[in-house]
Amino acid sequence: MVTTNVVGILMSGVFHAAVLFLVAAGLQVVFGVQKIFNLACGSFYALGAYAGVSAVTAFIGAGGPPVLFIVPLVAAGLAVGLVGLVVERGLLRYVYERDETFQLLLTFAIVLMMEDLIRMTWGTAPRSTAGLYLAYGQARLLGAAVPVYNLIVIAASVAIAIGIGWLLARTTFGRIIRAAADNREMAEGLGVDMRRVRARVFTLGTALGTLGGALVIPATAAMSEMGVELIVEAFAVVVIGGLGSMRGAFVGALVVGVLQAVAISLYPEMEMLLIYLIVIAVLLLRPQGFFGRAAA
Amino acid sequence: MTARLALAGAALAALAVPLVAPVYYTLLMLPFMAYAVVLLGLNLLFGYAGLLSFGHALFIGVGAYTGAFLTTYTQIRSLEVILLIAAALGGTVAALVGALCVRYVKIYFGMLTLAFGMVFYTFLLKFYRVTGGDEGMRVLRPTLLGLDWSAMPKTDYLVGPYYYYSLAVLAVATIVMWRIVRSPFGLCLRTVRDNPAKAEALGLGVARYRWRAFVISAVYAAVGGALLGPPTGNVDPTLAYWTQSGNLVFMILLGGFASFSGPLVGAFAFIFLQDSVMSVLTYWRLVFGAILAAIVIFAPGGLMGLFHRPSALEVSRR
Amino acid sequence: MATILEARDVTRDYGGFRALAGVSLAVRDGEFVSIIGPNGAGKSTLINVLTGVLRPTSGSVRFKDRDIRDIGPVALARLGMARSFQLVHVFPDLTVLETLEAAVVSRLRRGSRLFASLAADREVESQALEVALLFGLGDKRHAVSRNLPQGDKKLLDVASAFALRPEIILLDEPTSGVSTADKTAIMDILVGAARRIGCRAIIQVEHDMDIVFGYSDRIVALHQGRVLADASPGEVKANRHLVDTVIGRPPRGWSIAASDPDPLPPGAERSPAKPPAGSPRPAC
Repeated sequence: MVTTNVVGILMSGVFHAAVLFLVAAGLQVVFGVQKIFNLACGSFYALGAYAGVSAVTAFIGAGGPPVLFIVPLVAAGLAVGLVGLVVERGLLRYVYERDETFQLLLTFAIVLMMEDLIRMTWGTAPRSTAGLYLAYGQARLLGAAVPVYNLIVIAASVAIAIGIGWLLARTTFGRIIRAAADNREMAEGLGVDMRRVRARVFTLGTALGTLGGALVIPATAAMSEMGVELIVEAFAVVVIGGLGSMRGAFVGALVVGVLQAVAISLYPEMEMLLIYLIVIAVLLLRPQGFFGRAAA
Repeated sequence: MTARLALAGAALAALAVPLVAPVYYTLLMLPFMAYAVVLLGLNLLFGYAGLLSFGHALFIGVGAYTGAFLTTYTQIRSLEVILLIAAALGGTVAALVGALCVRYVKIYFGMLTLAFGMVFYTFLLKFYRVTGGDEGMRVLRPTLLGLDWSAMPKTDYLVGPYYYYSLAVLAVATIVMWRIVRSPFGLCLRTVRDNPAKAEALGLGVARYRWRAFVISAVYAAVGGALLGPPTGNVDPTLAYWTQSGNLVFMILLGGFASFSGPLVGAFAFIFLQDSVMSVLTYWRLVFGAILAAIVIFAPGGLMGLFHRPSALEVSRR
Repeated sequence: MATILEARDVTRDYGGFRALAGVSLAVRDGEFVSIIGPNGAGKSTLINVLTGVLRPTSGSVRFKDRDIRDIGPVALARLGMARSFQLVHVFPDLTVLETLEAAVVSRLRRGSRLFASLAADREVESQALEVALLFGLGDKRHAVSRNLPQGDKKLLDVASAFALRPEIILLDEPTSGVSTADKTAIMDILVGAARRIGCRAIIQVEHDMDIVFGYSDRIVALHQGRVLADASPGEVKANRHLVDTVIGRPPRGWSIAASDPDPLPPGAERSPAKPPAGSPRPAC
């Protein structure tokens, strides 16, 4: 039936959008405060994915009940986010005063290093958590069969989106983030310890990315190219939504996720091409995206 | 003057390589020379115009696939024709893409060029009936200066006539770029890089100069790309992937941008470093990433920067 | 006398904030006009509108009787207008000589020459050198701009504007950052250079009232985006209200009598080119 197909495609798109949002949110918060576009976000995503697989496999192997697989998955995803702290304190902080170009190149260096580090740890063969995907069964939504796991992830992503919104609006940390994003010198002048803020913000951004990678695992396998491929999608999300904007990450993720799902089912060859063309169109017509600040 | 002497010395050394070095290393010089041509152009864009493109591999792809298309679908075998057509195509595409991109700076320019580069990559990958998809296309042995070398064994051809031909192309490319950089155009380009607002106040159209630099750098990239095809006899879409563009920038940084011979040093260092690292470790990306990080943090002027004054791009911007 | 540059009823808004409200001003051949006013009065905005960097929200700007609202700074420079900047603008990596050569290359329209050697272009080099010597930067000509002291950077900014041999030049605080002793020297150089190259008018934004009164033919006083006064230095000094608003309270001993258009503090000597010694600096 046509409806089943459309709903199925939409839900698959929204699931993908949910994961994309997490990675994009991480990108945005880092860009907002540090003004650095972190090319390595894809690598963190991949890291989260591989870590998730290992954690779940170990959990099941140690006799853990399959129904609870999501616990080690999320735990691993969040735990490896601490890599962000190491990266920020160890590398990134040396280039804050430099030209954007060099900051971008440093994140590219991190992409290279992480690609091999992941390869060293987990090898080149894809890893998956085969079978656990449907541990929560499927639900029927308007006639389409949608894995309950997907719905859980979507719900979690929305919850996190709301959580981030609350964090930014209501907590001191959130206010500091917004202040620092607006005017760094002034925030420093008001006594904000920018070093700690930057370390925390970058760790938060990384953790969002690794969590996204972990959550996507049951649906796909962890593969060596996933990081490098994701960065282009994440970059599309951020351009469409607008650099530095959370709402933009949300809207952009939905646009990219759903469009991708539609394209895959209708014109598989056009899949990424369509996304890139939209990115170019957005950059030319409205460089600040939907919600970003005017720039360029 | 020392720069000129050094370049002349390097040229002499290069002439001697096929006569004294093992075949393996001579063959390694071929991609070095091709990338050196590419980088001379990219340095004009990055070092002298201050624009970081993350899609430059697009033009390498244009050049490489020109050779493949011409030798596969037409009777054309002349490398001169291939290089000319590659240059023309690269320049034309750049004229169009550049017109859109040069009004943006820094990260937006990087993003736009990345997007265009990936559009081209996807095109190469997905339209496999025409482009051969991820397997790529074959490049047949071209004739050099009208002379047909097909009777020669492949290796002899590559370390002999093809080597010297590539060297000649590199030499010409270097001389031309030398003149461009020392011309009034080169000076105006640097003003646009250093302070666009003031350049405009002096009557220099910022977008126009950037566009010209973009087109010239694309022509160089296409010519270099066309030289990459014949040695392996095959071209594939990975030549145009965005990480390739990243590698190019790495090469420039390694050698030192805004110094004329930086790109040459960078290409040389990259090719030979990659070779030596790869023969020891499969994890060459880790090593390279670490080197790139070290350069960015400690020696942004690259190898040549150790002899140079630091440029505006390297010191604090904030 | 022809009007070279004219602003008619120019308004410039930034979102909700009105920086300029109905500003009209005309600069004629041979005039040296100073624009004064407290910070935030809209002086830099006015300069930016006059030089094509900003578009007026309403009103028109005419240069040599051409509407220049949409032209932009590049075309304006080619039409014969040059400017210097309030915050020092140099090309950090270029030497003093290269900076001036760039201006000359632009003027001679040689920026498209890709294969000609710049070093061999005697015309460009000599003209650049001439300007360098004129501004006292001759022996620093191979210094990299980034390494110059602040005052020299300012000089270079102004010098490169002059290297364009413009018909009109707009200077945004040309002597700020320069020590008081050097200010008049620089102003004399400026005026002399303008005369040498055939510049038809000079407009400056300036805070130092000695400089303003010492060199201007006319003073335009801005306050909160409006023109408070547009008159000769004598008329301005005689207008007490104006002086209070724009310049600030005069110090003891500086009498403002309507009969004395150019008052001196008691006991001061006036020499032809220099402003009165001991004259007060206005509070900004």
